[in-house]
Amino acid sequence: MQRSSAPLIAPETRPYFCVVFFVACISFILISGVVFAGTLEPIKPSPAPIDNPQTDEKIELGKKLFFDRRLSGDGTMSCATCHIPEQAFADGQDISMSYPTTKNWRNSPTLINSGYRKFLFYDGRAQSLEEQALFPVMSAFEMNRNLDFVEEVIRGVPEYVADFKKVFNAEPDRKKMAMALASFQRSLVSKNAPLDRYLKGDKRALSKDAIKGLIIFTGKAKCADCHYGATLSDDKFYALNLPENTDFKDDAGIAATRRFVAKISGFKEYRDLNEDPGRYLVTKNKKDWKAFRTSSLREVSKTAPYMHNGIFKTLDEVIDFFDRGGGEGNKSLKPLDLSSEEKQYLKIFLVEALTGEDIVIKLPQIP
Amino acid sequence: MGAGPAVHKIMKDFEGKVKLVVKHYPYQYRDFSHIAAEAAMAANDQGKFWEMHSLMLKKSPQLEKKSLIKYAQDLGLDVKKFTDSIETKKYSGIIERDKKLAKSMDLYNTPTFFINGRMVVGNRSYEYLRRIVEEELKNAKK
Repeated sequence: MQRSSAPLIAPETRPYFCVVFFVACISFILISGVVFAGTLEPIKPSPAPIDNPQTDEKIELGKKLFFDRRLSGDGTMSCATCHIPEQAFADGQDISMSYPTTKNWRNSPTLINSGYRKFLFYDGRAQSLEEQALFPVMSAFEMNRNLDFVEEVIRGVPEYVADFKKVFNAEPDRKKMAMALASFQRSLVSKNAPLDRYLKGDKRALSKDAIKGLIIFTGKAKCADCHYGATLSDDKFYALNLPENTDFKDDAGIAATRRFVAKISGFKEYRDLNEDPGRYLVTKNKKDWKAFRTSSLREVSKTAPYMHNGIFKTLDEVIDFFDRGGGEGNKSLKPLDLSSEEKQYLKIFLVEALTGEDIVIKLPQIP
Repeated sequence: MGAGPAVHKIMKDFEGKVKLVVKHYPYQYRDFSHIAAEAAMAANDQGKFWEMHSLMLKKSPQLEKKSLIKYAQDLGLDVKKFTDSIETKKYSGIIERDKKLAKSMDLYNTPTFFINGRMVVGNRSYEYLRRIVEEELKNAKK
């Protein structure tokens, strides 16, 4: 896939890059297959669906459910077990924590800004937070809770019954639980990141080195080809041919999880599967083999390790991977030939510009 | 693999600066988790806590008494002493005390680390733990 240089609409460079952008648009029309970079945008409140508007009461109910271990089969796990507030709502592990006696197979992504995403999960199997919310609850290797059962458990808690009555004017059920959980997740939005202040016109919000990094990000490094918009993600799927995580190559628990997911996804050869097929399990489209959703880069300094299998422990490793042109045989990336200085500026931009204030939440009283 | 290798390296690299306290929290729904905790303590009596810990993680879920005795043999322990210890549940008082402590702290996941009061849930790499230990050592000097 050929890509043009990345235009950036930043305060002091806006007129120049508007011109470039226009030219790039023309190129796009004329030359099939050419992709151009998008622009970076400041974060705004997450858009909520019409049938699930945000209310304070609903967010509070969602927060209670998020921290409630009743949502797991053995009562040891809540959503917060793998999405820890102090860890930017990720869990800091290469492969996410799992239901006791089982193994997970993918990294736990941050929930911050998840309300913007068009696709949820690394393979994009859900298209809204409402659709996403119950997957981990019923997943055999995450919270392992039967949904019919958990509905009855929640209905047996008078405080919850009162909360659902107040918020939805209805009894608790799985759909409304998902709506409340989605509302809470949607409330987790980056706060006051230097990039946002910069894009709104505060030229002092970024250091000189971070601005150099921004220019590389949107230019030579071509990061903004896929990492643009408010979340710095195009919400598309690419097969970058990441290496499998060798730490887990011979892990029988992870292999069982992989075969299980492939089996319930209708992958006929699931017994012989020894790698993560990514988006392919959702679409069965050959081009999606080992393709994963473009991650948001916001709060990236707080969400190591990186990629769907946590293969990279540092941003330096991630930058090196992209500089090499991605994994062997991939058709999405080309080598960038960045100097070590350019890589450093890029990292400074990622760390300095995209890190918002810590989201501190008051833990709920679980009924 | 468990937490053993990372914890070992921390203890080695920060010798004299860090004290390790291990508490037991056998998983309530696993049939052999209690006897496994007994086995770890029985091995500890003979100076091989971590060896037994690692072996049990590797061999899990084969953790019934017969297998544990075989592991004790493989580790070169005094098997009679080891067997007496697990059969008489010599450390059940300590294990129950630890469980009570964990519940009183609202803990549910293992391993959970407390590094000068900072809670870290789940297995962690050496680098991850080292960063926190260094921060805490720095804070302690202030």
